[in-house]
Amino acid sequence: MSVAEVEVREVQLEAVGGGLWREALYRLVRNPGAIVGALIVATFVFVAVFAPLLAPYDPREQNLALVAEGCCPGPSRAYPLGVDDLGRDELSRIIYGARFSLLIGIVSVTVGLTFGLLLGSIAGYFRRLDSPIMRVMDIMLAIPGFLMAIGIAALLGPGLLSVMIAIGVVNVPIFTRLMRGSILGQRENDYVLAARAVGVPGRKILASHILPNAVSPVIVAGTLALATAIIDAAGLGFLGLGPQDPATPEWGTMLTDTVRYLQTAPFLAIFPGVAIVIVVMGFNLIGDGLREALDPKLRGRA
Amino acid sequence: MHKLLRAGVAFAALPLLVAAVALGSADRAAQASDTLVFGASADPVVLDPALISDGESFRVNNQIYETLVAQKPGTTQLVPGLAVSWSKSAGGKTWTFNLRRGVRFHDGTPFNAAAVCANFDRWYNFKGAQASSSASYYYNVVFGGFKNPGKGLPGRAKALYRDCKARGQYTAVIRLKRVFGPFLGAMTLGPFAIASPTALKQYGADKGRLTADGVYQPLGKFGTPDGFAVGTGPFKFESWRVGDRLTLVRNDDYWGEKAFLRRVIFRPIADNAARLQALQTGEIDGYDDVEPQDIATIKRSKDLKVLDRPPFNVGYVTINQAVAPFDNLLVRKAVAYGLNRPAVVKSFYAGRGVVAHEFMPPSVPGYSKSVPKYPYNPARAKALLRQAGLTLPVEVEFWWPTDVARPYMPNPKNNFQAFAASLNKSGFKVIAKSAPWRPDYLGRADQGTAGALNLLGWTGDYADPESFLGGILRAAKQFGLENNPIGTKLYRDLDRALAEADQNKRNAMYRRINNYIMQQVIGVPYVHTMPALAFRKNVVGYKPSPTLNDVFRIVKKVG
Amino acid sequence: MLRFTVRRLLLLVPILLGLSILVFLWVRALPGSPAESLLGERADEQSIAQIREQLGLDDPLYVQYWRYLETLAEGNLGTSIATRRPVTTEIRERFPATVELTVAAGIFAILLGIPLGFFAAKRHGGIFDNSSLVLSLIGVSIPIFFLGIILKWIFAVRLGWLPSIGRQDVFIEAEHPTGFYVLDGVLTGNWRAAWDALEHLVLPAIALGSIPLALISRITRASVLDVQNEDYVRTARAKGLPSRVVDSRHVFRNAMLPVSTVIGLQVGLLLSGAILTETVFAFPGIGTWLQEAIQNRDYPVLQGGILFVAVIVVVVNLLVDLSYGLLNPRIRLAGR
Repeated sequence: MSVAEVEVREVQLEAVGGGLWREALYRLVRNPGAIVGALIVATFVFVAVFAPLLAPYDPREQNLALVAEGCCPGPSRAYPLGVDDLGRDELSRIIYGARFSLLIGIVSVTVGLTFGLLLGSIAGYFRRLDSPIMRVMDIMLAIPGFLMAIGIAALLGPGLLSVMIAIGVVNVPIFTRLMRGSILGQRENDYVLAARAVGVPGRKILASHILPNAVSPVIVAGTLALATAIIDAAGLGFLGLGPQDPATPEWGTMLTDTVRYLQTAPFLAIFPGVAIVIVVMGFNLIGDGLREALDPKLRGRA
Repeated sequence: MHKLLRAGVAFAALPLLVAAVALGSADRAAQASDTLVFGASADPVVLDPALISDGESFRVNNQIYETLVAQKPGTTQLVPGLAVSWSKSAGGKTWTFNLRRGVRFHDGTPFNAAAVCANFDRWYNFKGAQASSSASYYYNVVFGGFKNPGKGLPGRAKALYRDCKARGQYTAVIRLKRVFGPFLGAMTLGPFAIASPTALKQYGADKGRLTADGVYQPLGKFGTPDGFAVGTGPFKFESWRVGDRLTLVRNDDYWGEKAFLRRVIFRPIADNAARLQALQTGEIDGYDDVEPQDIATIKRSKDLKVLDRPPFNVGYVTINQAVAPFDNLLVRKAVAYGLNRPAVVKSFYAGRGVVAHEFMPPSVPGYSKSVPKYPYNPARAKALLRQAGLTLPVEVEFWWPTDVARPYMPNPKNNFQAFAASLNKSGFKVIAKSAPWRPDYLGRADQGTAGALNLLGWTGDYADPESFLGGILRAAKQFGLENNPIGTKLYRDLDRALAEADQNKRNAMYRRINNYIMQQVIGVPYVHTMPALAFRKNVVGYKPSPTLNDVFRIVKKVG
Repeated sequence: MLRFTVRRLLLLVPILLGLSILVFLWVRALPGSPAESLLGERADEQSIAQIREQLGLDDPLYVQYWRYLETLAEGNLGTSIATRRPVTTEIRERFPATVELTVAAGIFAILLGIPLGFFAAKRHGGIFDNSSLVLSLIGVSIPIFFLGIILKWIFAVRLGWLPSIGRQDVFIEAEHPTGFYVLDGVLTGNWRAAWDALEHLVLPAIALGSIPLALISRITRASVLDVQNEDYVRTARAKGLPSRVVDSRHVFRNAMLPVSTVIGLQVGLLLSGAILTETVFAFPGIGTWLQEAIQNRDYPVLQGGILFVAVIVVVVNLLVDLSYGLLNPRIRLAGR
């Protein structure tokens, strides 16, 4: 495609106005991977919402008699996924755990993505703001992430919300840097130069030309961050910064707490681990579909 | 050409490498036969016994240095150490120690009465940072004060020590300012071991400074990783790479039966699962504080075994009387009835715990057989709460620590959750709170700002009731006993018992105190545990000491 | 380019100042105070108050910060509460271990991650693509310490192929002139020690490298897919250039741009991950040290150690930024 051709095409697109995003959505819902991903995520959301109806037991109900002979009896008919070290039904805890773990993952990644995309776009596109923003990000990025999260969570006081904010904030510089790097890569691309040449305003160029192209590495990193967010939340919980009630069913904690039973009751780690992997995979597939849908070069190929 | 050359070199090097590795493993087996590698949880702080207070420092220092009074390995029974015999004056304030003859420090200087007095005088003359309890914790606890320690530190008025005189070469006479019942027991503590006075001076043991962070930083070379540690013990200090390994080598001039092992290497491994795996691979020969869930795994293995450390600890729930309505005895009794102690002990201690009814284990003199007991009884607890005129459920803030494992609470989270559930069934409504063990949780507990109930525990230092009751209960704010009639009576009784010279009378006094504590339900002890050590089966002779005075001299490797 | 470099170097000054403020505030955000840490588990309240006063912990924050800056200016990072040794000494002893580990983990992640992502993209939607997705998801979903324990269980306990803890077998006598054990073994001609040190690196490097591996392979894949549809790639293919040439000259080179950003980011992530990895492997580096410091609340170590790590990350990122300009001629042009 020559510069002239690009020019024509972009100008046509401008005329449609926001058509790119609409078109992306259209292509997203027709992407098989994205559909599978959406189904997975929807299933877990369903499980989370209707946990009280689905769970066979109260996730906090202990039955110490079950673990009197040591931890822990494996799957049985009464307890399809076995019981944990307090004799609580593992299946019910995983079902209820969907509530907290989805919440932790989504909220903290959303916090990180929102600020990361915003700051990264600004830094990447408006050259004057680039240096100040990126130097602040450098400072934040320099402190080992987990330690940074400890500090923020400690400052905000223990609790679920502060854990989510802390993890989100820690992700901000990572997303910012990725976004900015990828915008820098796009900024001098032919089609952008072309759009600029025909007088498309800067904000529009950013929104409808650069962003869709630049956002893909951030989306990939974002979906992966979901998994680490759930795990990191458990790490903060281990330090006493998480939800104060230790009976709270939550996958990350269920996974990390059972490291001590790895040699005697490995299923305690496997089930929450699998739950995390599947959910993250769901988001990842959606993210992948989104990435493809947003790719202007694939447009019209669907 | 170049490629060919490179390939040639690689081919030539390969057999060499394989040979080196093979040679290495034969070599390794020979060395391993008389070397014990022990998996410690951390490095010792320092190899100057007067300045230690943690278990890992005890473990290493106790092999290098010796005390006047020792314990029979594996027990708390007092036996001759560097002193062969001792006697107490009629008034109970003067102690005479007859010293062992022919003992030499590792630097060749003789051990004698002058050396003993030099050590006692050194401790008494600690100043500034060295006198703060961050450095000399045990001296502070036992001896109370220093000659001239400087501003804000406990001085002469509080000191127990008067002086030490050498009578002839082998008799040391130590005079105290007042009667101190547990004196002999306390003399078995590692921090009161005798170091070479020559070496102390030569390597600048007392040269140090207080940094801007408030840390006492030794400036000399005594007891530091690249320095020297000179005692009379069965092992000598060889080398120390912090974070990696610390090596002791047999003292072939030891005065008594010499050690079987040529070397003992301590490797710091903070993670419990990592210690177990290193034991399974044979990278270490043994480790301490095995977690309950690993006991079965170790017992199943044909190469490994579990050793029992005699119980010398207590896990307990504090009740803060300063928080209403826990000033009411009925409510405190309801807590005691509402804590399902047998279930916790049975579920989380792998059969290594017994339900506690007092703040000290039965093996310590002064244990009472007649304390009131409070078996788990939710109905009774509810009735008591109603009797106290309260509406059920009664809210109670219950704190538990994160990021800690101790023999008396290997997994505080589980203990807490089980206790919370049983209290919730007994008319209470538990509000869960947690904080990291150090310094947040302990800080709050010590200041009495951690709600009404706390999970805590204690390991005794020596076989005397003061080491338990004094150590635990003198933290008045934990129990809300400040300016409180119960506290006033308790502390008066404890002080009297401490100053009693007659051991039988003392024991009777402590029995009464124990009864009083449980009548008033000052707290709820719930477990005494038998900590576990794990070893490879070819390690024999290791006798775990209740007070962590493990002796590596009698350990050997077979086969 | 030169001006750009000089400007970035000058910017280091405010960045380092900002870091010192952040680290200072971070330490003070933690509950409790150095006073409690100093006195240990059985401290009484009176001595805590004493130490608070002695350390000036009740002074206003800016006074404390100024004091902190003054000691920093002397090159003094404080003294560890746990070991009573200067923090700088401990860093000097431990940093080589961490460098060795993070470099090994980085090499593992890059050497495996880039080809994995590249081939996944080339066979977009195929079995290889999908299984690499699942693998990398498992990679990020397993906590590092968990992965470490599982790896050790298989390769050390069960198979006995590799050691499970430390950097060197206790029965190997070796000189350590540089502190980098593999290099030391090579320099002193002690092949056995070098080989042994390498063996000790394998499992921790895999555990530490797993998350970066997943990230790098995913980003590589995404980025290759993007570039493949660029006009110039299509043009090149249309011109009839052999696909190997197109892949290596156009696709790969251009796709590496976001990948290099991600690799730059890994330095911070690796050092952060080293905290958990080293602890599980009893690897005597900065990570084990910081982990213990968190547990003991060894404030001088936390303050000094984190500042040190942060400065390293800043410097490495600066180097990445500068090399970015070299990699992408378009940015270099824009910088003029």
